Amino acid sequence: MLIKLENITKEYHNDDIATPVLKNINLSVREGEFLAIMGPSGSGKSTLMHIMGFLDRPTAGEYFFEGENTTNFTDDELARIRNERVGFVFQSFNLLPRTTVLNNVKLPLVYTHGKNIHGLAEKAIAAVGLGHRADYFTNQISGGEKQRVAIARALVNTPSVIFADEPTGNLDSKSGGAVMHILQELHRQGHTIILVTHEMDTAEHAERLIKIKDGMIMDDQPITARRIAEPDGAINK
Amino acid sequence: MKLKILQQVFQGLGNNKVRTLLTTLGIIIGSAMVILVFSAGAGFKSYIEAEIDSYGSNAVFIETRVPPTTQALANGVSESINTSTGTTAVAITSLKTRDVADIKRWPNVADAYGIVIGQKAAAYKGVKKNIMFWGSDPGRFQIDKGELASGRFYTEREELGLSQVAILGYELARDLFGEEDPINKIIRVGDLNFTVVGVYEERGGFGPHSTDNVVFIPLRTAQKKILGIDHLVTVIAQIEESDAAEATVEDIRAILRRNHNIDDPKKDDFLVQTSAQALNTLGAVLAGINFLLIAVAAISLLVGGVGIMNIMYVAVTERIGEIGLKKALGAKRSDILSEFLLEAVLLTLLGGVAGILSGAAMAFLVSKIAASYGLAWDYIVPLYGIIISVSISALIGIVFGVFPARNAAKLDPIQALNKE
Repeated sequence: MLIKLENITKEYHNDDIATPVLKNINLSVREGEFLAIMGPSGSGKSTLMHIMGFLDRPTAGEYFFEGENTTNFTDDELARIRNERVGFVFQSFNLLPRTTVLNNVKLPLVYTHGKNIHGLAEKAIAAVGLGHRADYFTNQISGGEKQRVAIARALVNTPSVIFADEPTGNLDSKSGGAVMHILQELHRQGHTIILVTHEMDTAEHAERLIKIKDGMIMDDQPITARRIAEPDGAINK
Repeated sequence: MKLKILQQVFQGLGNNKVRTLLTTLGIIIGSAMVILVFSAGAGFKSYIEAEIDSYGSNAVFIETRVPPTTQALANGVSESINTSTGTTAVAITSLKTRDVADIKRWPNVADAYGIVIGQKAAAYKGVKKNIMFWGSDPGRFQIDKGELASGRFYTEREELGLSQVAILGYELARDLFGEEDPINKIIRVGDLNFTVVGVYEERGGFGPHSTDNVVFIPLRTAQKKILGIDHLVTVIAQIEESDAAEATVEDIRAILRRNHNIDDPKKDDFLVQTSAQALNTLGAVLAGINFLLIAVAAISLLVGGVGIMNIMYVAVTERIGEIGLKKALGAKRSDILSEFLLEAVLLTLLGGVAGILSGAAMAFLVSKIAASYGLAWDYIVPLYGIIISVSISALIGIVFGVFPARNAAKLDPIQALNKE
């Protein structure tokens, strides 16, 4: 089992008033799954992704990642997991401005001891079909290309799981489709992908759908009528 | 790994070139001041040393001074008024040729000569110039290092014979004679005619220290025919063994006290100093000026450091999203800390290097200006000045960079990411 959450609870404290965001979440994700977490805003889906992605800590409960109990990991240990075993794709791309595509993709490798940084970054850029854009600055490329750069950056450390938080939220449907195509392609190659979205259309690209509301998992089912995105962004159902 | 972080820092700095420059301005000015102070200080020292050396090494200066009054002594005032510049109303007339003779006879004294100084108009063929004249006996030519461009020194016979012969300073000769050869020409000094027997080479010096505008005439001629006095203003002695300099100075004081009938050293009407002591006096003045300039430089560096801190705080706020992203991608606290600290240190070092270059350039200008006045002013940028400047810059970067850097390192990745 890649990810195993046991009774995960998250509360935010404001002036001693506890606001529960996640309530007793139990969830397992196998290696190679393509999972979509769907819910309205405020449902806790983002918080759940942050906890699964080691960006945040649960208030209570246990988190097993690749068999390891990570509940009591230090900040530096979590940073290391984020760096080596997790990749992130954000809604607003979060690329460094005035920096080339290549240097953006290299960024996670700056914090590892790895060698051949250049080669790994070029390989990741080629994997998202942007080899011809490697030396462009991030303000010189389109939104869809930006998100593909972000995917390349998430890939560059060959992570165990890729988290995509509303990856098509800032894109038109065509470039959004192209991004979904890449994610599906990565999944087909064996990557584990966890997609967070509030749109059913986007969620239906995954294989398994979890619906979350008011901090609780309401539904957990395989997707039967799966959408398939084409390289040019067209969607087949 | 640190190297890769350094690349990140360079990228960040390169993206904000104008701001980088403005931020480091305080540091640039501060380091430039430090270098300028050290360099000009070293140059000034070289000039003073050359100046004192021109009187001959192992020189001892004996000058008259007004002894402190009983009242001043009671008040604890021990300052003396130097009469060699002739600025006081009280004239001390006790320093005599006899003193010079007695000093000359002392075992460790190689030679000595007395000087009187006055001011007159000098004229040649309608060209007139106000000049200083120095009356000194020919013993001066044994000690003084000045060399003649043409002609000869005056002789002992001319000294004793009250001859009206003169040696001209370089500049004065040029001003009075232009292209003409001054040797054996007659000039007028005050009401007397003098035959020019020699012209000095250019010696440099500045203001009252310059002897390029001076007429040198025999001592007795100056005393008897121009000034109407029989005392001296200054005596310069050359000692043989510099190891015994202090003792010899004490001996000279004893001779003078005996000759002047002084039993209380507090009532001395003279001042005896070796060239080393004169250097020390000047050195103390120089150290005071240096201290002041260094204080100004320190304030400038401090202000520069605060500027760096300010801009680093701005940079942290501005780059919260970037910091959040880097943390999300696996940057540890220590990575972010070192990135921002390195940036601050690099900024100040950049300013430090720019400051050293501009300070060295300014010091070069100062040395050129000094040289244009004929001063023997060496252009020196002392290595310790550079080392001090660089280490201060780096230290300021660390001290003023550490707080903003810690703020950056402490940021929570999610909150930072959501700031976008």
